[in-house]
Amino acid sequence: MKKIYTLLTALMLTIAAVGQTLNVKVGNITYQFPAAQTGDMTYADGQTLTIMGKAFSLSDISAMTVDNTEVTDNLVSIAYNGASATVTVAGNVAQYVTPTINGAYVSIAQSNTNAVDNDEITYQLSGTATDGQFALSGSYKCTVSLAGVDLTCGTGAAINITNGKRIQLSVKNGTTNTLTDCANGSQKACLYSKGQMQMQGKGTLNVVGNTKHGIKSGDYITVKNLTLNITKAVGDGINCEEYFQMKSGTVTISGVGDDGIQCDLSGTTSTGETADHEDEDSGNVYLEGGTLKVTVTAAASKGVKADGDMTVSDGDITITTTGNGAYDSDEQDAKGCCGLKADGNMTISGGTLTLKSTGTGGKCIKADNVLTISGGTISATATGSQYKYSSSITASPKAIKGGTKTAVSNAPGGGGGPGGGGGRDNTQYTYSGGIVITGGTIYAKSTNHEAIESKATLSISGGYVYAEAGDDAINSASDFTITNGYVMGNSSGNDGLDANGNFYIKGGNVFAVASRQPEVGIDANTEGGYKLYITGGNVAAIGGLENSSSLSGVTSKSVSYSKGSWYTLKSGSTAAFSFKVPSNNSMGTSMTICTPSTPSVTSQSSAPSGTTIWNGYGVVATD
Amino acid sequence: MFCAGLTAVMAEDYPYLTFELTDGTKASVSTASLTLTMNGTTLTTGSQSFTLTNLSKMYFTKTDMSTGIKSIENGELTIDNEIYDLQGHKVTKAQMKKGVYIVKTKDKTYKIAVK
Repeated sequence: MKKIYTLLTALMLTIAAVGQTLNVKVGNITYQFPAAQTGDMTYADGQTLTIMGKAFSLSDISAMTVDNTEVTDNLVSIAYNGASATVTVAGNVAQYVTPTINGAYVSIAQSNTNAVDNDEITYQLSGTATDGQFALSGSYKCTVSLAGVDLTCGTGAAINITNGKRIQLSVKNGTTNTLTDCANGSQKACLYSKGQMQMQGKGTLNVVGNTKHGIKSGDYITVKNLTLNITKAVGDGINCEEYFQMKSGTVTISGVGDDGIQCDLSGTTSTGETADHEDEDSGNVYLEGGTLKVTVTAAASKGVKADGDMTVSDGDITITTTGNGAYDSDEQDAKGCCGLKADGNMTISGGTLTLKSTGTGGKCIKADNVLTISGGTISATATGSQYKYSSSITASPKAIKGGTKTAVSNAPGGGGGPGGGGGRDNTQYTYSGGIVITGGTIYAKSTNHEAIESKATLSISGGYVYAEAGDDAINSASDFTITNGYVMGNSSGNDGLDANGNFYIKGGNVFAVASRQPEVGIDANTEGGYKLYITGGNVAAIGGLENSSSLSGVTSKSVSYSKGSWYTLKSGSTAAFSFKVPSNNSMGTSMTICTPSTPSVTSQSSAPSGTTIWNGYGVVATD
Repeated sequence: MFCAGLTAVMAEDYPYLTFELTDGTKASVSTASLTLTMNGTTLTTGSQSFTLTNLSKMYFTKTDMSTGIKSIENGELTIDNEIYDLQGHKVTKAQMKKGVYIVKTKDKTYKIAVK
């Protein structure tokens, strides 16, 4: 029904526009006044003619004609043609629009401070300019419509909008548009908007940034529907402030010299997320749908970086980072690349995430505060080695990392806290954030270091988690708690699952694989006075449990196994899960199993039927 | 709704662009393929020329709003026209001699000169 009304309304508007139109031409600018709207057009002293509030100097008018041109209210059309451009202005907005044309450089000053005829002004760009620009100033929201424009600017930004109000950048359906700015300029971006920018439409926009960012907004940016390709940027692909929100569409970013997308806090204090993002200044990133593909290559660059929090609720997200680590002189610390990075919290509740980081110190997901995963399908692979700026300043690659551990003092004789390693380190630490996993399907692999690491607490209460690493597969710098879900830690160089504080297993299904002696399948920081507590859940541990483990309400025993064989773990007569023993360990031939009822395993020659989990190392009965 | 839109089309037709001079005189020109040309102090459109300083305003009209002395053929006057001399006396077509007369037609009033 809505479509019918829209169609009828459009039809009426189109029909209503048919009639006589007075065209007033001033150089390459044509003002079009529909006869029905003009009223009295007044002359004054033989010097000026004023039409619908627009005053013309008669000496500037090169021609006036009357024809039957249809005029769309509120529309200003800019047509580029090589080294020149023409501008056509609808009569009802003529008094508010002052265009200036110099070759193919079109600059428009917009003066209205309220809606015109209940609508905003639309600037529609089309044609090709080999050296041109569209510049817009003003103080009221408007729309910039890209309707098949190929704009290359030799002296600055291709589009430079200094209007600080909300700009709707609409990429017209069925059109392909390309913006290219000059190299070595002073502009902030190829496409710059001082104010909020809502990017939408069902067309395609290609952006080539030769001086700094590809796209920059001084306020927030939202993306909906359009296909956006940023093929080059000296700085970030997209850089904005307040917040960034991707609702749908396809965004592909490559060839950038810094981050793919970076969102900064505009002011000094975050508002946090607000209802409908009204007046929000948070530095947050919201990935809510669409297809996002980012490839970054620079040292310590980020695929998507949030100054505040990051929320991933849907979408198909593919991010690859290939740069190595670098020393950050501001923070005096070593930094690696990262696919998704939030300086605050990160919440992943949906979507399909395929993340890969190959450089030294590279990570796939990192939240400095709390990383919460409640849904979605995540594949995170970090293949780099450690970045060393100095012996004490390093950045280690991780697939997934959350929380922050901060050294606060060096107290002689101190216990050192969970991360202190007992008497080996006197440094006192504070812990903030951590990792909370309540759902989702996670594949995390780090070739040389921990696959999943929390620098504070780590809790898993749901989902399917597979972690494979050359170091601890999953490590918590503080307490590690499992209450539900399916968790496998597969290490080829250290413990399967490790807590630097206490380790609590209260439920769930756990399969831990350590690499070799003296590592263990499930470890806690016994040296620091901490312990592994198992009070529930079904556990199979290649490499066994921490020696001083505390078991309550469960029974454990040691059983033999063969590498590459399939087993089903049972608690009493109830099958918990089936698993295949990886071939990458050197832990001997026996493993520890632990369940609430009498534990046992039965072997199979091949994978049993059911739902495959844990990267093919597990099977659970299909519901 | 659609019909309302269609009605609007008919109402939007303005076949004349009327110029009004500072002395109140009006001159309408057809808007069909109309071109207005300015040359120095003169605006020319079709057979009409206006000194820019004499122009007060212009507007689109649905009828010819022209006023002022107008040359018309004697045969164009019909029996329905009311004709007055400059003294206000009603005269017949046959009584008209050389001079200026006011002629009221069904649609408008002309000031005419009989030569």
